[in-house]
Amino acid sequence: MIDVAASASALSMLVSSLTPWLIVIPGIIIGLIFGATPGLQISMAMAIFLPMTLYMDFLQAMLFLTAIFTGGSFGSGIPAILMNIPGTSSAIATAFDGYPMAKQGKHNEALGIALASSVFGVLVGYLILFMMIQPISLMVLKLGPSEMFMVILWGMTLIASLRGEYVLKGLIAGLVGLLIGTIGFNEIGMARGTLGSFYLFDGIPVIPAMMGMFAASELFRIANKQFIVENKASRKVELRKIAQGCKMAFQSPLVMLRGCLVGVFVGAVPGVGSSVSNLLSYVETKRRDPDPDSFGKGNPKGIVASESANSTSEAGSMATLLALGIPGGGATAVMLAAFAMHNITGGPQFIREQTDIVYAIIFANFAQVFFLMILGLLFIPLLANIIKVPMRYLIPTVLVLAVMGSFGLTGNFVGPFTVLAFAVIGWLMRRYGYSVPAAVIGILLGAMAEKTLLHTYQISGGDISYLLERPATLAIIGLLLLSLFGRHLLALMRFSMHKMSSAKN
Amino acid sequence: MNKPRYDVGHLCMLIGLVGFTLWYLSDAIRVSFTVPNLLLILPVAVAILILALAELVMSWRGGKLFEVVDDEPVREILPIILLFAAYVLSLPWLGFDLGTILFVAIFLRMKKETNWYLVIGYSVGFGLAIALFFALMLPYPMPMTFLPID
Repeated sequence: MIDVAASASALSMLVSSLTPWLIVIPGIIIGLIFGATPGLQISMAMAIFLPMTLYMDFLQAMLFLTAIFTGGSFGSGIPAILMNIPGTSSAIATAFDGYPMAKQGKHNEALGIALASSVFGVLVGYLILFMMIQPISLMVLKLGPSEMFMVILWGMTLIASLRGEYVLKGLIAGLVGLLIGTIGFNEIGMARGTLGSFYLFDGIPVIPAMMGMFAASELFRIANKQFIVENKASRKVELRKIAQGCKMAFQSPLVMLRGCLVGVFVGAVPGVGSSVSNLLSYVETKRRDPDPDSFGKGNPKGIVASESANSTSEAGSMATLLALGIPGGGATAVMLAAFAMHNITGGPQFIREQTDIVYAIIFANFAQVFFLMILGLLFIPLLANIIKVPMRYLIPTVLVLAVMGSFGLTGNFVGPFTVLAFAVIGWLMRRYGYSVPAAVIGILLGAMAEKTLLHTYQISGGDISYLLERPATLAIIGLLLLSLFGRHLLALMRFSMHKMSSAKN
Repeated sequence: MNKPRYDVGHLCMLIGLVGFTLWYLSDAIRVSFTVPNLLLILPVAVAILILALAELVMSWRGGKLFEVVDDEPVREILPIILLFAAYVLSLPWLGFDLGTILFVAIFLRMKKETNWYLVIGYSVGFGLAIALFFALMLPYPMPMTFLPID
């Protein structure tokens, strides 16, 4: 339901003064830089610049923080494409096809696809938020741990679909990853697999592990190459090709729209958010594609699916924040702190009483989309030059970035040691045919899966019939089964219909 | 040089993964043999053991258990891994500035960068700049040799 009077008031707030816009461009640039630097998180950028918002009014503060969020959500895809290092967990699936495209000399197109998909994702996400903020918030209120577990289980089915060449090895890698993800204290205060070290009480730091497995292990493998792209002609940075990439993204409108829908709804689920949405969108696209084997080898649709979903997740997490006052992840948690600094509490009352402010934030994000497009086009040619750097310079540079970034994430040497350990594990896994992405997904979802499963067990008292009383859980199970067996079911139906019609004839 | 006729890496990798699973399961059981503690870990561990057994049997029957992997030059990769390990493990003593300078310089020399001006210039310039950047951006002190800690 759209409040027309509040919309008009929001528009007048935004156009009556230039002041709110002055902080949007610096915000996007900060987000781009932090997102594109491995190890520097979007939430870290927002936390560092949070004190600056004390000198702004609430609307300006929100515009500044959402601008960082928007810039960062695209920025994290840049190292995923150029260096195989997802800047954040929300860009994991971007690396699956983005990096192979870069290795084929299609880095310009890949970055263009990522930019267009991100821009479109942010636009659609906030459009859905504008029209459906109240229904989304009501939906989120109905989600309990059993529904969250099912969403995670849906994400975990990815392990089976990312198997690559070897099915069994892919599953083993994913499940071992799941176990690694549960190392440390669980919800009931039991510490497992810590070897008595208090550094492991919080578990294995996921992003450093991801940096080690994805980036460092890959760099070891290609250490003998002169350049990422051996062909000199393919190393050129061309704005024309980046623009072509932007066009290519719109050649898969269904993939993009599906990514947006997955992004906004999964993004609204607290704690799950963009980390899962990009993977879900990617696997659904791969599953439905007539040529699923081309994924992971540089299929542009893979980037479209991932980037549209992770950018739309921003709007989803904003829905939960604005309507319920619940942060979905690190970035929205910092925004919640900004709420507190301005004596504002998110929730149904905030939406009811300050609808114009909520709409102003949403409208401002529509405008941010255009700023992101322009700034992205200006920044990409600068960043794409990475491809021209000889490997003997690029490899130590990226390894150092990963090590320092991981130190930044953990605040101690657990981060760098994790990068080292998982770099070696990742290299061995690649060498012997075990799926590294499956293991990373397992590590990412392990703790979340255990927590939600435990909460479901506690609420239900171990009675499985509890699930039958949860229509939302059943709906998600239905979707999960449909995504797993829908294709086979459709093929079976077609076959039986064909058989019936030939029997009639 | 003769190529090896078999590679025990596949088997070692599988044994390593199964070994980790068994150790982790036993550690979890040692901590608490209760349903809430083992709710996820036990079924996942059992699934891994079954899958690993299936993989062992299938690769043995398919003749792939000792198949030689020769798509990458291990003799050239191992020194890089060792150098990276030395860099990471020595950081607490060398600090991020000196450690990074040495790591980058040794790496460039290992990869046969012959121009000493470039080796010294890039390793010192990049090492100091990146260490300073992170030291300024991060809210906690980073160990350094030359640069100020805070």
